[in-house]
Amino acid sequence: MVFTSDEDLAIANEYSDLGYIIRPNADKNAYKWIQQSTASVAANALDIGQPTDDEKFLNEIHNLVKPSALNDFRLKVIQGLNALPEFRLMYFRLAKPYLEAIVGNELAMQQRINLSIQMPNDSSSLLPVHADTWSGDSPFEVVVWLPLVNCFGSKAMYLLPPTESAKFSDDFSARGGSSSESIFESIKDEVKWLEVKSGQVLVFDQSLPHGNRLNNESETRWSMNCRFKGVFTPYGDKKPGEFFEPITLRPASKRGMSYTLPKIS
Amino acid sequence: MNKLRGYIFARPFMGERAPQHVQNIILRDYCNKKGFELLLAATEYAMPDSSMILESVLDDLDSVDGIVFYSLYQLPTSTTQRQSVYSRVLASGKSLHFAVEGMSIAKQDDVDSVEQCLLVKATLDNCASEVEV
Repeated sequence: MVFTSDEDLAIANEYSDLGYIIRPNADKNAYKWIQQSTASVAANALDIGQPTDDEKFLNEIHNLVKPSALNDFRLKVIQGLNALPEFRLMYFRLAKPYLEAIVGNELAMQQRINLSIQMPNDSSSLLPVHADTWSGDSPFEVVVWLPLVNCFGSKAMYLLPPTESAKFSDDFSARGGSSSESIFESIKDEVKWLEVKSGQVLVFDQSLPHGNRLNNESETRWSMNCRFKGVFTPYGDKKPGEFFEPITLRPASKRGMSYTLPKIS
Repeated sequence: MNKLRGYIFARPFMGERAPQHVQNIILRDYCNKKGFELLLAATEYAMPDSSMILESVLDDLDSVDGIVFYSLYQLPTSTTQRQSVYSRVLASGKSLHFAVEGMSIAKQDDVDSVEQCLLVKATLDNCASEVEV
C-alpha cells in the first residue's frame, strides 16, 4: 500500500529511474540570496566593488582570477559563505519538497556546503569519475547540486545512469584501480551530461559514478553541492556531528530518544 | 620543496578510525613541520581490504617525491603486499611517511621499525585487554 501523493510519487519514480531529478528552485528568494551573497563575498575577496549583474560577474570571473590563485580564492568564498548563519537554511529551502519526496522529512544535512569553480580550459579543478560511496559516504545520502550560472555542454557535470552503473559495479575489481582517465574512457559513451540552468536545482544519487571534464565553454562554472540523508538511516564514514547535523527532527523522535521505561525496582 | 602525495582512509583500519577532515589536518601539520609540500590526498576506497587507490598512487610515483599516510596502520594487511609497497617506493628512490606516528621509510633499514609496530598492534588486538584479579 502506498499513500504517497501523485506529485511525490512522480518525483520518486523519476529519481529511481534516472538517478536524478532537475527542478526549479523551490524557493526563488533563497536562490537569489545565495547567488547575491556569493557574488558579494567573491567581490570582497577580490577587493573590488559589488557587481551590478551577479550572474555575469560569476560567469566571467576567469577575467579577474588567475588559475594559480583559484583554489585560495575558492576557499575564501566558501569560508565566507559558510560563516553566514542563514546560508544552510537558504540552501535547504531550495530543495525542501524534493528532499521530502526522495529522502523523507527527518533529515540530516552536511555541515559545510562545498563550492566548485571551474574556469574555461582550467585543468586544476577537475573532478575525476567517482561515486561518493566509494569514499565512505552512505548509500542513503543524496546530493543537492546548485548551479549559480547556466551549466551546459562541457560546463555541466555527468552521471552514469543506474542500469549502466550496475554493470560498472559488477566489473569494479577490474576497472576500479585503473586511472580515472581510463575509467572515464570506458564509460564515456554511457554517461549522461546534465544540463542545469541558473534557477534550477539538481538532486542526484551520489552512489552513481559522476564527475566533470575540462570546461571548454567560454564561461566559468559555479556550482555548490551538499549532502542530505534521513537522520535515522545508516551512516557511512561521514558521521553525525563531524560531517552531518540533524536539521528537521520531529517531536515524536525527540521524545522517543529521551524516553525510558518506568523503573520497577 | 619535496612533494608528498597524501593518502587517507574512508574506512576503519586495524580497529582505528579518524574523520577524513581530521586525517587531512594531520597530514598538513606533518608536512608543514617537516618542510614538505602536501599534494591533495587520495582517499582509499571504503570497500574492506581495498588498496586499489594506493596502487594507483604507486603507479604515479614518478610525479612525486613520496607518499604520506595518515597512519602506518593503513598499509595493506597482507605482508606480501606491504613488501611490494616498500620495494616499489625504495627502488624508485622515493619515501613513505606516516603522519600520526611521525615515522618514515627512506631506506631498507627503516622498514623494520614500521613492521614491528604493525606486528605488535596486530598481536595486541588478539590479547586480553583486561585481567581480572
